[in-house]
Amino acid sequence: MPYFRRYVAVLLIAVLSLGALPVGAAQTAGLVSTQSALQADTASSDRQRINDVLARADVQKQLLAQGVSVDQVKNRVAALSDAEAKQMAERLDAMPSGAGVVGALFAVFVILLVTDILGLTDVFPFTR
Amino acid sequence: MSFPLPAKRDAHRKSPQNARRAGVLLCGALLAVLLSGCATGPALQPATYQLPKRVELTNVPFYPQEKYQCGPAALATALNYAPAAKPRSAAVWKAPQARGRKRDTHITAKNLVPQVFIPGRDGSVQPEMLATARRHERIAYPVRPTLDALLAHVADGYPVVVMQNLSLPVWPMWHYAVVIGYDLGEESLILRSGETRRHRVSFRRFDATWARSQRWGFVLARPGRIPSGITPRRAVQAISDYQALHGIRAALSSWQALTQAQPHNAMAHFGLGNAYYEQQALQKSALAFQRATAADAALGVAWLNLGLVNRELGRMNRARKALEKAAELDSTWQEKARTALETL
Repeated sequence: MPYFRRYVAVLLIAVLSLGALPVGAAQTAGLVSTQSALQADTASSDRQRINDVLARADVQKQLLAQGVSVDQVKNRVAALSDAEAKQMAERLDAMPSGAGVVGALFAVFVILLVTDILGLTDVFPFTR
Repeated sequence: MSFPLPAKRDAHRKSPQNARRAGVLLCGALLAVLLSGCATGPALQPATYQLPKRVELTNVPFYPQEKYQCGPAALATALNYAPAAKPRSAAVWKAPQARGRKRDTHITAKNLVPQVFIPGRDGSVQPEMLATARRHERIAYPVRPTLDALLAHVADGYPVVVMQNLSLPVWPMWHYAVVIGYDLGEESLILRSGETRRHRVSFRRFDATWARSQRWGFVLARPGRIPSGITPRRAVQAISDYQALHGIRAALSSWQALTQAQPHNAMAHFGLGNAYYEQQALQKSALAFQRATAADAALGVAWLNLGLVNRELGRMNRARKALEKAAELDSTWQEKARTALETL
């Protein structure tokens, strides 16, 4: 997979630097987009774009590994904003994922029962 | 070595009542600490008590959760609801009349599973909840993390999708639910949650579970509608994210609505200026950038775009003034402004 990243990076650098030639002249005429104005605090825009694309590739890879189907993954990644893609690329494993089921053992049951009765948790519907 | 033991035993024998009393006291103190720590519900702002006493958005549909799929269920619930008209004036507001658009029958919890559920995680993550709403032509606005804001949204007719940890931080049980009603007198909320259509939960219990997600939640709105009470920054970000997916044309109505709802939000005017520019409405675009600079004179990028649009309109004096301003201000766009000024 590092090969994949490197490959994408090289490809991107080539594409972007080629693209920069005509764009460079036109850019002075073009307005600053709302999106890039909002991201203004982050480094240079070219580097930013490379990172964004890499982050998306990363998220796509991770989602596929987590069992998301191949025909869905593209649309899912495309719907993410740059910031969201970056967030997911960096810490998908640590992210809380709403499931609505507790993955705990029986020993925990009693403790949660007490905290439920105290009104600190909302695990068992029958405590109210 | 044997000395302390009998002495201790003696002490016990001498005052068994004292020991029992101490034990009872200790238990009592512990219980008191535990209860006092959580007996008081979250304090609400005085303004919150001006809201209708009781609200329930009864025509929010219900999609019961299957297996671990509370994310798709909560999202389907929120997506299939068109907010009714705002009834803030009513003292006690009964459920709104069923009105609004037809349900999108294709959006069901089941159909959302391949879009927002991650099989390997047995759940759905927050960024994808927002992104999936975006795919269905809704803008997801994260709410302010307070119970006051939550109640105000419900009073405004917006159900709020919330993330909770129903269990304790050590054994998390992450859960998405939709808040559809509240009762200020009873201090309780009504949620569409899991397999329960009307889950009633006290403010206190709810806030304890909600606080564990840093009080994360969002409301959905169609383009062109801005829920009140959203922070300027979050509103701009949400519309900009929507625009990145659906194109600038699809976001125009939202920028218009946002500049009306938040006239002092400089970035809202900026976004509107860019949307008009995309439509070749240069005069309107220049006016919007003008308003952005009026709202925040230190927004260099707005001066820059104002200058560039004025240049295109042939208003060279105004263009120069705006670009000079942009070149003066210390921002990422200073360089670009200088270049534009040189080639003017």
